[in-house]
Amino acid sequence: MSIVLFRVDERLLHGQVVIGWGNQLRPDRYLVVDEKLTVSGWEQDLYRLGAAGTEVQFVTPRVAREKLDFWRLDATRSILLTKEISAMGCLAEGGLLAGEKVNLGGIHHGPGRAEFLTYLHLTEDDISELEKLEAEGVEVTARDLPDTHRVNMKTLLKGKWKYS
Amino acid sequence: MEIFLIGVLGGLLALDATSVGQFMISRPLVVGVLAGVVVDQPLLGATIGAILELYLLVSFPAGGSQFPEGATATVVAVASSAGVTGSGVLPLAIGLGLVWGQLGGVSVTLLRQANSKIVEERRDTVSGVSWVVRRHLSAIALDFFRGCLVTVSGVVLGRVGLQALSASWPLEVPSSIGLLLVGGSVSAGIFLRDLGGFRQRRTLFVVGMALGIIGSRVL
Amino acid sequence: MRTRIKSGALTAVFMRSFLVQGSWNYHTMLGSGFAFAMLPGLRSLYQDDEDKLEEPLERHSEHFNAHPYLTGIALGASLRLEADGAGAETVRSFKTAVRGPLGSLGDSLVWATWLPGISVLALAIYWLGLPGSWSALVFLLVFNAGHLGLRIWGFRVGYSEGRDVGRKLKVVDLSGLTARLRRVAVLFLGLLVGVLLGAEGGLASAGLLWGLLSVAGFAVGLLAGHYAWRPAATTLVVSIVLLTTWGLLR
Repeated sequence: MSIVLFRVDERLLHGQVVIGWGNQLRPDRYLVVDEKLTVSGWEQDLYRLGAAGTEVQFVTPRVAREKLDFWRLDATRSILLTKEISAMGCLAEGGLLAGEKVNLGGIHHGPGRAEFLTYLHLTEDDISELEKLEAEGVEVTARDLPDTHRVNMKTLLKGKWKYS
Repeated sequence: MEIFLIGVLGGLLALDATSVGQFMISRPLVVGVLAGVVVDQPLLGATIGAILELYLLVSFPAGGSQFPEGATATVVAVASSAGVTGSGVLPLAIGLGLVWGQLGGVSVTLLRQANSKIVEERRDTVSGVSWVVRRHLSAIALDFFRGCLVTVSGVVLGRVGLQALSASWPLEVPSSIGLLLVGGSVSAGIFLRDLGGFRQRRTLFVVGMALGIIGSRVL
Repeated sequence: MRTRIKSGALTAVFMRSFLVQGSWNYHTMLGSGFAFAMLPGLRSLYQDDEDKLEEPLERHSEHFNAHPYLTGIALGASLRLEADGAGAETVRSFKTAVRGPLGSLGDSLVWATWLPGISVLALAIYWLGLPGSWSALVFLLVFNAGHLGLRIWGFRVGYSEGRDVGRKLKVVDLSGLTARLRRVAVLFLGLLVGVLLGAEGGLASAGLLWGLLSVAGFAVGLLAGHYAWRPAATTLVVSIVLLTTWGLLR
């Protein structure tokens, strides 16, 4: 299988992803699944700058659902990124991501968001999206970098690990 | 008086790491030399700094993740070993430095949580301009005191511990250094992987290695 | 509308960019520091009118994050946008789009390549038997030459290009620079490993056992990457504790 990481990260292609996970997993391609970015050229240009020369594709969730099996069989190693948990949820609908692991990276503070980890601030909607993901057979864990603790859903929702 | 100086040094170097400047005076390699001069153990200081630098080679603060704090760790390791004899000084100082570096990292996380409150609490009586200045400078001051506190507490504990334990360390000095370099080798391996891996980089790596072996034999 | 920012104010913003991480926090990350650094420039634009400053200060206090050395690009470009009278939404979407790339460009160039690369060079110098102060000095001088150059260049290019700074960054090709520097870093790393193998104070004098274990440690790092860092550090600390305990009981 050659989608080596599914990750939710508000900042998409930033240092933690490109250096932290990129050095560890060595992807050939980043797949950014985001409705709005597919139509914004200048924003795409900026995100591509950060990818350290690795190919970046921007696709809508609808297209991503169609291409998922193709990407899985492809020899090209991909890291798939979404900004929001709901976009990952959209991919997972109908068991498309059953048996996969989804990594939660940074979602920053904002109105209506509570701190679960220093890098993870979730709304009520996010939490129900996460539960939906689990119900679709996805294993959800939070980990900002490969050399930090991995936190599973149960511990995460208990609000433990506040300081790590 | 000396402990006061060490505390101030720890606080200032902690500032360099994130809050003020990032000139990387806070790297263990440099801190080891500086702290060594302060406690009058320049050789030991430099060795501790170099070994801790090797460990922290691949650990960096990307996007606000928690990282081991090299500056306070090195000050604590060097200042704790001043005046202690026995072959255990170096390994115990490094062990203490690694543990204190992690604690330093936790204290940075706690500070950043405190900062979350500091930057959002605004009193109505204050104008926007002075609010922006005040919250920022008070967070920097807090970071300084955090650095002092982490350093001084580490040194006080470390001095007692190293004094008591150093004589019972079972290994000779060369073996102790060997043990410490095994850990350092892991970091070196991780760094080579980060740079593209052995297979992709073997020519340059082997050329460098040959130069290194020759150089160490000649000098 | 185009307004000039006094050159003294520009210098002040640049100087304050060294403090931009001073109030780093999990809610707005660099946000509060960004507003603090922008202040002299905004003062110059709004002729010190504190009431008019409220809104832009609030805006620049919002969430932001980037590599500290490259934050100057965003500061410079934001000043340009403000001076050109760009709307709040333009400034906001610019900063949102630029924070990730400036983070990853800076992290790969500085934290993952330049810093450890110069650091292994300095460590090789140290284990060659030269005084620690020399290696520290080499490290500080070489590293900061790159550091300061990057900061000054970044702030200037940000201020001159504004929102189009992305185009300029593409031409300059920081990723290409990083790729070249990575090769130099490999050479320096090889140098350090060679010195550690051959030098008096290194593995040569530690004996075969430690030499073999070090090779094994290197292989573990090479194969497992960053997953190995924590377990390795923990193993070392535990070994030190166990050896000390054994020594005490003996």
